Parts: sequence; structure tokens; C-alpha cells
Amino acid sequence: MSKFLLEAKNLRKTYTLGRVKVPVLRGASFTLAQGEWVAILGSSGSGKSTLLHLLGLLDECDADSGGVWFDGNPVADLKFSARNSYRNQSVGFVFQFYHLLPELSVLENALLPNMVNAGMSWWSQRAQAQKHATELLDAFGLSHRLTHRPAELSGGERQRVAIARALANQPRVLLADEPTGNLDTKTGGEILDLIAAKHRKGLSIAMVTHDPAVAARADRVVKLVDGCVAG
Amino acid sequence: MNTRMRLQHSTISRVYPVQLANRYLTSRIIPLIAVAAVALCVALVVIVVSVMSGFLDMLRASGRTLMGDVVISYPIRGIPWYEQLIDTIEKLPEAQAATPLIDTYGLVRMPYPEGSEKEVVTANVWGIEPQSFNRVTDFSKALYWKPPITPEAAAAMLPDDPRLKLSQSILNDGLDLMKSATGEPGLVLGMHVSIANERMRDGSYRPRYQWFMPRQSVTLTLVPISAKGTIAEPRERVFPVVNEFKSGVYQIDKNRVMISLSEAQKLLRMDAGTLYDMQAPPNADGSLPVLGTSPAKVHKVLVRAKPGVTPDQLQAAVFGAYEKFAFDISQDPSKAVKAPHVESMNILTWEQHLRDLIAPVEKEREMMRILFSIVYLVCAGLVLSIFWAIVQEKTRDVGILRSVGASRLGILWIFLQYGLVIGAIGGLFGVGLGWLVIHYINFIHETIGQDAPAWSYMASFCIALVSLAMCVRGAMTGVLLSTLLWLVLGITLAIVGAGLMLHRGTLIWDPSVYYFATIPDQVDWFTAISTWFGAVIFSVLGASIPAAKAADIHPVRALRYE
Repeated sequence: MSKFLLEAKNLRKTYTLGRVKVPVLRGASFTLAQGEWVAILGSSGSGKSTLLHLLGLLDECDADSGGVWFDGNPVADLKFSARNSYRNQSVGFVFQFYHLLPELSVLENALLPNMVNAGMSWWSQRAQAQKHATELLDAFGLSHRLTHRPAELSGGERQRVAIARALANQPRVLLADEPTGNLDTKTGGEILDLIAAKHRKGLSIAMVTHDPAVAARADRVVKLVDGCVAG
Repeated sequence: MNTRMRLQHSTISRVYPVQLANRYLTSRIIPLIAVAAVALCVALVVIVVSVMSGFLDMLRASGRTLMGDVVISYPIRGIPWYEQLIDTIEKLPEAQAATPLIDTYGLVRMPYPEGSEKEVVTANVWGIEPQSFNRVTDFSKALYWKPPITPEAAAAMLPDDPRLKLSQSILNDGLDLMKSATGEPGLVLGMHVSIANERMRDGSYRPRYQWFMPRQSVTLTLVPISAKGTIAEPRERVFPVVNEFKSGVYQIDKNRVMISLSEAQKLLRMDAGTLYDMQAPPNADGSLPVLGTSPAKVHKVLVRAKPGVTPDQLQAAVFGAYEKFAFDISQDPSKAVKAPHVESMNILTWEQHLRDLIAPVEKEREMMRILFSIVYLVCAGLVLSIFWAIVQEKTRDVGILRSVGASRLGILWIFLQYGLVIGAIGGLFGVGLGWLVIHYINFIHETIGQDAPAWSYMASFCIALVSLAMCVRGAMTGVLLSTLLWLVLGITLAIVGAGLMLHRGTLIWDPSVYYFATIPDQVDWFTAISTWFGAVIFSVLGASIPAAKAADIHPVRALRYE
């Protein structure tokens, strides 16, 4: 059994832009232990977000690439349904631009992973899921905003809803891509406090950032330079 | 829960596509446009095909009502010994009743206008035996002037309806084809043969210019035709009009008159007489030698089938009965005049008899159905283009859903459901709109047929002025969209107002072209339901391409979509 909760070895990813092949990751490796908070630091275009997408199976690595292991099990070559399940239950994504569904209310956005997971049993699980999501949103100071649409919220509130959605199915890993990149320093600090509180309760976090001050909140910092982990 | 177990958990969900499709439908204006487009397409097909089907059904129903189920005809010379033929036919287990008929053309001199120069019209004259004719057709129902049978029927009539003041004798006179007061043989006119009847909005009639035809007399002139096919001296007779009939088929109601069979036979010299031997030398007293009796003749025999017997079954039985009848006559030495051979006869079902009328309408209906089915493609095209735009707009949503574990099938299902709901709701509205238009089609037609009331174009002009004032206000405040919308509304209403002011009534459904005085107003439910299904299927097909495109979007590219 691996000592890491999430592990990536020798990841390669090349994008094709017209006739030009652009290598983004050139053999990057990464580890995240249970309960650890790792910041992935790097400049723009260094492959930070791509690494996060590969760790969350949102994207596929090159054929000659290494792999990704979750809890000691290889996950990079899983079939479609298992990859969907992994994204739904094992990891939770938080993005820089929040990415909330504008037609859904705050509560419905936070319940989205539960709904995706539940199938026809949703109607029996609904009350329990709703209770959990309401508690989470309450803890994030959004109890008065449950029925509001994302357009009616501030940036900080939207990011809190996005974090609540990422944690809806109680995943073991939070994959955060510049979660404070679109917020002012004060609001960004509040968001990091929320994430830190969840980390203290045992949540493992891989967070992409280009801000050393944000990276400083993590247990460990990994630097990504030209598609490889430095040092 | 260990990882392996969690990875095996099913991700096929059917809840979030329903919720999201519902939200996409209810929170945007564009699905309403798609629903309206589908509804209009469906309504168009339902209205056109229902009117065509109703037209065909009316043709069929009236044809059968007036002809019975099977028609035996031998025009010009007539069928001799027809009473024996009718006896033979009525003994058939398939036949309910049979009746003889004279079918010819004549001239009817009307009692109007005042003065000596009266109007003369050509008419299709039927000589009938009223009692047996009423058993084969629905003659009594077709007679128009009769008092209401029940208090409910009386209550349904307008207070000025002349039928409320009629007595039962007018119906009896019509059924007997005889003026009971004088004992004279009478004549029944088709409802539109004279100019005297004015049709009201409720479908009832009022005597025009105080000419109530059942109180008038007309002169009928018929031209007898000899066995050799030559025209003999025309014969005329004055008939009191005893009633009028309305079959519902305008061409029949406009052209046909009915008199008793015996009177028609007399006028056409088709009644019974003595048959002389023209070739033999005269008798001592100068008279010609008698060969026998020349029987009375009729042009047609109409036969009605017993309940449960199809016209085709009756036709086969009548064919056999006629063969037997012709054989019996040929073997009877007392009958000098023989019956025509079965091969010379036309023995047709009512539908075959009216084939020339029905077949083109059937073909027209099918052609309309096919032509208007193109609207299905319009439905699919509309839904496709609208959904293409929606999927473009919702690309990032697809990425978000994939990031929380939604499957490609789930994404596909969101947009397919979207198409399904738009097709189903739009189709339902379309069927409803089609029903509404069909139900009030005669009212709409009559309204279009009249001059527009002054208030309608005055109201249009007033609202147009207000709209143009709002347009000027918009231009002054510099809001381009509101300026343009008010301008378009103002110009449209001004054009509508001008159109209404110049409108002088348009007759679209001309009864002299379309046979019937009223437009069919029953929905063809088979067409309505099949069109609804078509709209649903083609809406889903239209949605399927954008839906597949959405399902194929790469999640990372979708999340980065600007």
C-alpha cells in the first residue's frame, strides 16, 4: 500500500495547437499524503493547472506518460464511468472563476455533485444531502443566500459556494486551481481560512497558485518550472 | 468507504438532467420562441389536413345519404319492370330497402321577379317514390322547413326563425310530395335553387324579399327522350312548392328539385302504356296491333344495405339479383319488353358512383399532408438552430458538470429532454390552437368576409400613433433598441389599420367551388395526434445533434471556454 493518498509519476502532456505541438508537462511527478496541504507554485504557463486536471482525471495524459494513483490504485486508465465516479466522490474541484451554474440557486449548486451521484435514489437521499449542504453553507456564512442565484452574490460568496460544492460528497482531496486569484487580498484570506479549517479536519489539498503568500499557508510547496517539478 | 468500492459506484444519473433541463426551459426566453415555432407548425398541419379530411368526410357522408349504398343505373332508356327488380332485391338478406328513381334535367320557371319575365333555372330533376326513398336515404332529415321536434330544439333556434311558426303539415306535404290542402302533386326545391333563402350566421335560413318558397308555385319543363334517343315534345306542369331540402352539398342544393316518380314518368313519357306492333299491318278498325304492355321505367334503383352489411357485399348480392331478374324477364313470354343484360348495367357502390368527385379530393388531401409535412423539417431545423446556440452558450456549464462527475450520456440526456419537452409542449399548444381555429373556422371566415368595423382600424391607428410617439421619446433618450421596437410596432399597426380600413370582405371558401356551404369544422384527431408525435420526434432529432456536440466537448476546453 502506497504511503501517499494521491501520487503522480512522470506525467507528460502535450497540446496540439494547429500543426504545432506544445509540451506542457515534461515528466512531472507529484505526491500528496493523507491530510497534507501541498501548494503547486509556478509562473503562468508552467503547467500547474494541467497537472491539477490530470490529478483530477479531467484530462488525459500522453500515451508515453507515467500514471496517477489514488490510495495506491492506478486511476489514469479507468473507464469513463469510473473516471466520472472518481471526479464525483474522491476529489472536489475549486476553480479560479468559481464556475457555478447560473440557472441554479446557491443551495442547488452546492447539491450538484449529490444529484449527479444519486440517480433515481436522489428523492430518498435528498433530505440528507440538503441537510449536509445547508450545514456547509451555514458554516461558510451563506445561510441567508441559499435561494439566491450566483449573479446576486459577491466574488467571495461565489467562491465559498464553489468550495461547498467541491466538498458536497465529502471527497478526500480538494483540487483548488488559484482559488483566490480572482479575489482581493482580504476576501482571498477569508477563503484560505475556510480551506485551512477543512484541512485541519483532515482534508488533503492540492492547490495551484502563483502567489508565494498563498503558497506559504500550505504544509509543503512544489515548484513547477517548464513542465517539471523543480528541485 | 474504500477507493475501489467508490470507483465502482454507478454514476448513471437521471435526476440532474431533468432538473437542469427544467431550469434551462423556465429561466430563458429562447425556449418559449422554440415552443411557439413548433406550435405554429403543428397548428398549420392540423388546420389544413382537418379541413381537407372534413371536406372528404362530408362528401362521403352526403354521398351515401343521398344515394343509398348501391346504385343500379341504366340512363336514358330506363329500367323496365323495376317493381319486380325491387321485389327481388328486397328479398336479399343483405338489402334493407330499394327505391326507384328518375334522374333527368329540366327547366324550372320561378315565381320571381314581379312581372311577366320570370327567372328560369336549369335543374337536376329527381322523380322519387317518397316513402321508399325515405327508407333508402335520409330524405325526411334533409327536408328543411319543419317545426322543431322537441322543446330543446325550439329553444336552440333564434326567436325570428320562421320554423318556430310552422305546422307539421308542411313536413308531411314534403314527405308525400303533395299539397295536402288541394291534393295537387308538389315539388321540393333544393335550398339554394331559388334566391329566396338567406343563410344566417347560425346556419339557419330566412326568406329573402318575403319570398317564402313553400307558399309559391313553379313551372317545371321536362324533355322526354325516345327509345331511339331522339327528343320529343317538351312537357311542362305547374307544381306548388311543398318544401325545400338541404343535403349540405352546395352543388346538389343549388341544382336539384324533386317531384313524385309518377309525375316525372308522365312528363318524360316513361309511364306504363300499350306496346303496338309498328311493323304489322293495321287492324280492320285502323288501329295498330297490340304487342303487349310497355312497362313504366326508371333510370336508377337505389339500394340500402342492412346494418352490418358493407356496400361491397351488397353490390355483389345485387349483381346476382339483377342477373336472376333479367333471366326471369327473358323467360316470361307475357313480357314483350325485356330487361337490359347485366353487362349493360352500372351496378356501383355509392363510393364508386361518386368516384370522380371523391378521388381528386383524396389525392389533394394526401398531397397536402405530404407538402405540409415539410413543417416537420422546419421544426427540426428550428430546434436544431436554437439548441446549437444554447449549447454554445452553455459550453462552460458542460465543463462544470463534467468536473463534478456528470457522464457524457447525462449531458446528452439534458439536451434531448430539452428537445422532447419543447416538442411535446409546442405540439400540444399547436393541437390546441388548431382545434380553436377549426372550431371557429366558419365564424372566422364570415368575419373575414365582412367589412372591418370602424373601431378596429381606429384602434390600430391610435395605438400606432402612441407607438410612434414612444419611438420619438426613445430616440430622444438615445436608447436604440426601444426606439427600433416602438418604430416596428407603430409601422406594423399603421399597415394593419390601413389594411382593415380598405378591407371589403373576402370570400375564401366559395361554396360553388367547394360543394359545401360551410367549412368543415371538426378536427381530424388522427392527424392531430400523429402531427404531435411528429413534432416530438423531429424536435428530439433536431436537439440530438447539438446534444451530441455538447456531450463530446472536452471538459477542460469547456471550462476554459470564453
